[in-house]
Order: sequence, then structure tokens, then C-alpha cells
Amino acid sequence: MGTETQLVKIEHLYKEFDADTKVLADINLTINKNEVIAILGPSGTGKSTLLRCLNYLTVPTKGAITIGDVTVDAEHHTKRDVLELRKHTSMVFQGYNLFKNKTALENVMEAMTVVQKKSKDEARKTALELLDKVGMSERRDFYPSKLSGGQQQRVGIARALAVNPNVVLFDEPTSALDPELVGEVLNTIKSLAEDGTTMILVTHEIGFAREVATRILFMDGGRIAADGTPEEIIDHPENPRLKQFLNFVNRK
Amino acid sequence: MFKVSYFLEVLPVIASKVNVTFELTIVATFFALLVGVVIAVIGYYKIPALYQFTRVYVSIMRGTPIVAQLYFFYYGIALYSAFVRDMTPLIAVAVVMSLNMGAFMSESIRGALLSVDEGQKEAAYSLGMTNIQLIWRIIIPQAIRVALPPLFNDIINLIKQTSLAFMLGVPDLMGAAKIEGARTFRYFEIYAAVMLIYWIIIFILGLVHKFLEKKCATMY
Repeated sequence: MGTETQLVKIEHLYKEFDADTKVLADINLTINKNEVIAILGPSGTGKSTLLRCLNYLTVPTKGAITIGDVTVDAEHHTKRDVLELRKHTSMVFQGYNLFKNKTALENVMEAMTVVQKKSKDEARKTALELLDKVGMSERRDFYPSKLSGGQQQRVGIARALAVNPNVVLFDEPTSALDPELVGEVLNTIKSLAEDGTTMILVTHEIGFAREVATRILFMDGGRIAADGTPEEIIDHPENPRLKQFLNFVNRK
Repeated sequence: MFKVSYFLEVLPVIASKVNVTFELTIVATFFALLVGVVIAVIGYYKIPALYQFTRVYVSIMRGTPIVAQLYFFYYGIALYSAFVRDMTPLIAVAVVMSLNMGAFMSESIRGALLSVDEGQKEAAYSLGMTNIQLIWRIIIPQAIRVALPPLFNDIINLIKQTSLAFMLGVPDLMGAAKIEGARTFRYFEIYAAVMLIYWIIIFILGLVHKFLEKKCATMY
């Protein structure tokens, strides 16, 4: 995908909740602009933890994370570092996590006016464009409680795009949805991928990952066990654990 | 028998002291809310030392009768504190009620703060919002709605507790009733009048509560 500009760099990242539970062990990873990365793997292997370490919702134990021009070292980080790091990313959550006291439009505007200090008019204009992009402009004045899960998640995606992030993190964006609503959200994500949005996507939708991702990571036991193109990972897996995982998923 | 003419005669006499009840209620509600918010925020962030202190404080305030607290403060502490000794009974009652009701309100408010789910906080953080922005723009607006019903309950209790002010000699509704009673011995009509007045006040407060709740519910 064209330019090979390095956007995210993870160096020797460790996360231990206590001495016995090592969730991430020595993760090293470089991600370029326009890459769409899908992270696959069995439950409890650290996929979501890795993603949440990238914006410090989970604070790593050791290691450095660079996103854009900000580098944060886990052992010497300040509040300001973390705030700066978060301004370079945004996240789409499994449970949508829209602000319940704000309409769809206000949800998308919130970070632009409060964090980026843009004018209301400017924020509104951008927010309307984004809501249009995710097919939610007709429901811009609805509160989250009046929206379906799929609609909420599409607003969540618009909200994540609003801060013009270097990279959008998706934490199992369709896992909480009813099966008939998964399609609309996946289509939205797919259209972002086609626009060249850099994304990291933790998902259980293997077929979707195969189709949309430019690169797939397979995690096992807190490490990246396989890293390659969708063809390499899904069609011609070599790692025995990966084969086992794919067999298990396909059988379901 | 119940004499309607006397009842109608004594009603305005007693009602003329309703301003004392209002004053006490408004002042004590204001300071109780203040105390309640401070304790609730300490509890929400579990600030060390202060948190343990507030737990003991709330436990004592909720675990002892307010009459005992009134006497302890106004007669007990007054022995050793000129500051308390120089207080008018009205102010002393307002202080004790604020401290007492603040403890109850802190629980109502803390519950409301906790009702805002972790997910929304994470969303705010992930967008680069600070703690203060999160509290003001996301948590408090949602917590108010949850806190409204229990806070109104607390205020209703507070209004009724103002009737204890008379025990320190504050001339409120109960004081007027006592004076009237000593004169005419018609306790039946007199205390019926007292109850009616309290009931009307609290009924009106209930309407305000319903109105506010409806307004909040249609909001989102």
C-alpha cells in the first residue's frame, strides 16, 4: 500500500498484572501508515491488552510505545505523556461506550470541542460529514438509548474518526452485536480501510480479517506467534498453534 | 370533639412560623449538599486517610439519633467551646442538620457517581479528555439524574427533622403548637394543623421532584 511511513513502534513491551500473570511478554512491532492490522488469537492471549496498552487504558509494565512523534516509556511516563499519546489514537469499543447524556452528533463533536478546542461550528461540520460517512446522519439528534447496537457502534466509529487520529484501535467492535447487526458495522470498517485509514483491529471475525486486513498478527501466550499477510496466515498457516486455532474456529 | 372553627383559627397562627422551617430547610439542604458532595468525591476517588475518616464520620452520623447529636453538640460540646456556646439555637440546629444530612446525602451522591459505567470513562480517556473534563461533562450530568430520587428523600426527611429544632427552643411550628396547647389544651386540632402544614410542604416538594424527574427522563 504505497508509502512505507512508520507510524507505530512498540519496543520490548511487557505487561504483568502480578508476578504470576504475564499477559504480554516482549512485544516488538512496527506498523506503517495505511496498514490495516487484524489481531487474532484465542481468548486470554493478550490481544485486547496489547491494544489497550497503545493508549494506556492499560498501563504496561515495561517497554516503549511510539505513535507519530510521541514516545512513552512505561517505566518513566507522566500524565502529560499519556495525554499526548492518546491524542494520536482513538478507540472503538466492544460495548460502544457512547456518552449517554449526549446525542449522536454531540458524541462525535465532544472531543473536537473539548480536547482539540475547535470552534462549535467547525466541529459540527466535521461531525456531520463523519455521521454521513457511517450512514448515521438521519439519526444525529438521537440519544444512544434510542439507537440499536449497530447504530451506536457506527456513531462510535464516527466519534473515533473525529479526532483525526494517526491510528484507530478497534477492540472487538462486533462481539457485542446481534448477528444481524454485525454486517453494517463491518461494512463501515471496510469502507474506512478502503480510504486508507490506519487501523488495528482485535477481532474474532476471521473471514472479515482475511478480506480487509493488509496484515494479520496471531497472538498466543502473550506473544506474537505469527505475523504476515492474510494469505500467509489464513491460507497457508505454518505455526502449529495457529493451525490448531484456525481449525477450531472453522469447525464452529 | 374536633372543632373546625378552632382548627381554622389556629392554622394561620401555627403557619405563621413556617418561615423558620423554610430557613432551616434551605440552609441545611445547601450545606448538607456541600458536605455530601465533598464526602462522595473523597469516597469516589478513595483518597487515603480522608476516605477512612469520612467512613467513620458517616457511620456515626447514620448510626446515632439526631436528637442525641443535637444535645451532644449544643449542650455537650458547648461546655468546652465558646464558639458553640455563643451560637443561637437556630444556627446550632442548622449546623447539626447539615452535618447529619450531609452524611446521608453523601451516600446518595456516591451511588450516583458510581452508576456511570467504566466504559464511558475509558471512552473519554481514549479521546484525550482529562479527569476534570470527564467529571464535569460526562459523569456529573448523568449522576444528577440518578441522585435526584434519593436526594429528594433526604430533603423530605430533613424538612421533618426541622421539627426537632424546638427541642433547643427554636420557635418553629412545633414551638407555636406547644404555646397554643398550653393556652387552650386543644391538642387534637393543634397537632392536626401542624401535620397538615408539614404534609402540604412535602406534597409540594413531591410535585417539584416529579417535574424535575420528568424533565430529566425526556432528556435522554
